[in-house]
Amino acid sequence: MREVLVVGGGAAGLAAAIACHSYGRDVLLVEREHQLGGILNQCIHNGFGLDVFHEEYTGPEYAYRFIEKAKACHLDIVCDTTVIDINKYEDGFVVRMSSEKTGIQDVYTKTCLLTTGSYERSRGHISIPGDRPYGVLTAGQAQRYLNQDGYMVGKRVFILGSGDIGLIMARRMRLEGAEVLGVAERLPFSNGLTRNIVQCLNDFDIPLYLSHTVTSIQSDEHQRLKSIELSTLDSHFQPIIGSERLIEVDTLLLSVGLIPDVSLITSLGVEMDQRSKSVVVDQTYQTTVDGLFVSGNALHIHDLVDHVTLESERVAKHIDDYLTHGRCDQSWIQVIPGKNVGAITPQRIQVSGDKEEVIFSFRATKKIKKASVVLLQNKKVIFEKKRQLIVPAEMETIEISLDSLSSNHALVVNLEVER
Amino acid sequence: MYDYVIIGAGVIGSAVARELSKYQVKVLCIEKENDVANVQSLANSAIIHAGHNPIPGSLKALLSVKGNHMYHQWESDLDIPLLNLGAYVVAHNKEEEKRLESYVENCRKNGVPEYMLLSGDEAREEEPHLAKSISKVLFLPTTKVTYPWEVAFACMENAIENGVEWMKNHEVVAIQPKENHFAITLKCQEVIETKHVINAAGVNADDIGAMIETPPFKVRGRKGEYFVLDKRVKGFMNKVIYPLPSDKGKGVLMTPQYHGEILLGPSSEFVTDKHRANTTITGLEYVKKNASLLADDIPFDDIIRSFAGIRSTSDYHDFYIKESTNHHGFYYLGGIESPGLTAAPAIASYLVEEVMRVNKQFSPNPNFQPKRRKQKAFTHLPMNIKKKLIKKDKRYGHIVCKCEGVTEKEIIDAIHGPLGSSTIKGIKKRVRAGAGRCQGGYCEDKIVKIIARECGVSPLNVGYDREDSPLFFNETKVKK
Repeated sequence: MREVLVVGGGAAGLAAAIACHSYGRDVLLVEREHQLGGILNQCIHNGFGLDVFHEEYTGPEYAYRFIEKAKACHLDIVCDTTVIDINKYEDGFVVRMSSEKTGIQDVYTKTCLLTTGSYERSRGHISIPGDRPYGVLTAGQAQRYLNQDGYMVGKRVFILGSGDIGLIMARRMRLEGAEVLGVAERLPFSNGLTRNIVQCLNDFDIPLYLSHTVTSIQSDEHQRLKSIELSTLDSHFQPIIGSERLIEVDTLLLSVGLIPDVSLITSLGVEMDQRSKSVVVDQTYQTTVDGLFVSGNALHIHDLVDHVTLESERVAKHIDDYLTHGRCDQSWIQVIPGKNVGAITPQRIQVSGDKEEVIFSFRATKKIKKASVVLLQNKKVIFEKKRQLIVPAEMETIEISLDSLSSNHALVVNLEVER
Repeated sequence: MYDYVIIGAGVIGSAVARELSKYQVKVLCIEKENDVANVQSLANSAIIHAGHNPIPGSLKALLSVKGNHMYHQWESDLDIPLLNLGAYVVAHNKEEEKRLESYVENCRKNGVPEYMLLSGDEAREEEPHLAKSISKVLFLPTTKVTYPWEVAFACMENAIENGVEWMKNHEVVAIQPKENHFAITLKCQEVIETKHVINAAGVNADDIGAMIETPPFKVRGRKGEYFVLDKRVKGFMNKVIYPLPSDKGKGVLMTPQYHGEILLGPSSEFVTDKHRANTTITGLEYVKKNASLLADDIPFDDIIRSFAGIRSTSDYHDFYIKESTNHHGFYYLGGIESPGLTAAPAIASYLVEEVMRVNKQFSPNPNFQPKRRKQKAFTHLPMNIKKKLIKKDKRYGHIVCKCEGVTEKEIIDAIHGPLGSSTIKGIKKRVRAGAGRCQGGYCEDKIVKIIARECGVSPLNVGYDREDSPLFFNETKVKK
């Protein structure tokens, strides 16, 4: 029986597996692709690694640093292998995996870490009306085709959603010779990092249409995208009649959000969080099932891969502690996202008298200038911190010491607007 | 010279092809699309109705109740997927309960088996998510769900095995009645001669008829829009839920699908362009609003796709299954809208035996092989069988589409099978690769490569729906 089995060899899985191994744990890392590194491999732009390495890397370079580390420490890794099922077994789990090389195999493990990343919301998820031609792709899919496989998916391109992948792909398609006619965002502000707005759109004169969306899609006779209809939205996100304009494009790329992929463990009866679309975890990134941990984009969508790495290194420490001490049996307090707060992790915590720090990560539901993060227990303010500007596009984190919390009351996290 | 030429390879054309292959006749099926089941059969609710809705005495009533029963034979002969779910037709108040009574009467007259009335609470005991406002329910135990694409594949594959010829990507542009036969001209100018023509052209049935005469009916496109909820919602509802029918048809339904998703829809709207199955803001909103009358707390967050289909509604208001009054040997299968999928096996035998009387003119095909075997989706097989298959072919071990658990070997079989396809959509229809929650976002590139390798072409020549309409524009890296 293994001590740790890590599902997914992207940024999160690599960092956690290497760290667990450094604590002397018997680790197996399972990756479904032929190559380790996950989505980093298709992110050939730079900007990765500033927090972790204090240097700027491309995605593949960032992954390479970890792959080399994994090789150097002789980490057990299987690639080309898909985990198809995870079940409870005695005090741990039986993980069923399938590959062309070895067929279907069961591996037993005391703990399991899910680092399966996220998947992109597609046209279907946001129900864009119209015909159903080819040429409507997620931005990440287009990125893979272009950067890894070397195929150009379009010549006249429009992008819906100003998430970071969309912005990066706007620049990428332009650099590869496509005409990029614009990026539309349904919100009145962009969802991407400011540096990406500047470097990917402004520097290339690509227009950003805020409070706009695609309200219809038209197909040509060969079932290829022919045009899109762009409409302005009112303050209730309803298209304004008469604002429609037709834009002739052969390709529409969608950057309309990522959804954590935890499909492998939902059947284990883990508690889910409707806001994050992932699972409920405590401050050790442990789910409601003992010994089952989640980190990286499978837990919540991060802004930067550096944060994924740091989080996954923390989870490795917690897994190490769990393997030594088991789960402590103190009672839980709920963490409740309050005013202007969207999803938050952890969703529940165990309060001890320790000075141990807990990191809360959350997103605002709207842009707030001069905000303060206020934590309340039993209506009493126990923590307050000011922020000049809070935007939904950037994940907020706060760190507080466990000994400042009471173990009797739920913890409410509010984002107050300063008057 | 063919004995029979079938125009259209939807579910109906395919079923007729298979039915004819039971006799010693020379049969050709012509399809204008790049695949079977690509228009009306592509987008529908997948339900095998019990028969509560059609007007008693109509051909729709007769053939749907008969067809429903015949699906069991198809299931065992052709390995057609079938889920015996049962259905509820729901009423919300006294007025609706009264109307529900008339459908009880329909059931009795149409010979629907085992139907019964339940109170709202009794029904909710079985289906807890059923809307609390529902006061009475007509339970139809014989309602089933199938997988319409597989119905067409199964029938056509079996027909081909029994000697039927078929051609895709050929559009009929003219039909000339001759002395004792017909000359059919294709778009490519090829002329095909046949003693009989079977017009199973769905939404185009009137246009095909107009090639020889004033057609006895006019087809009007009636569009239906749908949402698909991810299979993660499996179990939210386990029966087909119908509202009370109205003049617009059976209404917006909630239909659990064979592979675990739940379908919401269809809307119902007459359209001017019967060839355009686009979704609209108003249509999709209509579906959401009306679906919400069937169940409480529908997980709309789990929508992974929306689509639309066109029903071929005719002004004859019933299935039109007759020989042309002017041209002996020309047969119409017109206005085959819902419950056409349900009635398909009965329509085929009714046409062949009672309308065309093939059994009176031709001897049975002594080599007719009624069985068509199709292995269940690998992901649904028991572990010991999975392991055995992987031992035989290790490509069963390689999972390409992780949302639906589709293996490389299944994709290869779909490419090279008797009705093989080399398009992304064709593969999706055959093995569901790309039909799951990521909608192909993570496996389409892999499928492109497998198709290219298996067909010996460049990925630049792989198309979504047609080979001549490729996914990519050009290569960016020239590999030496």
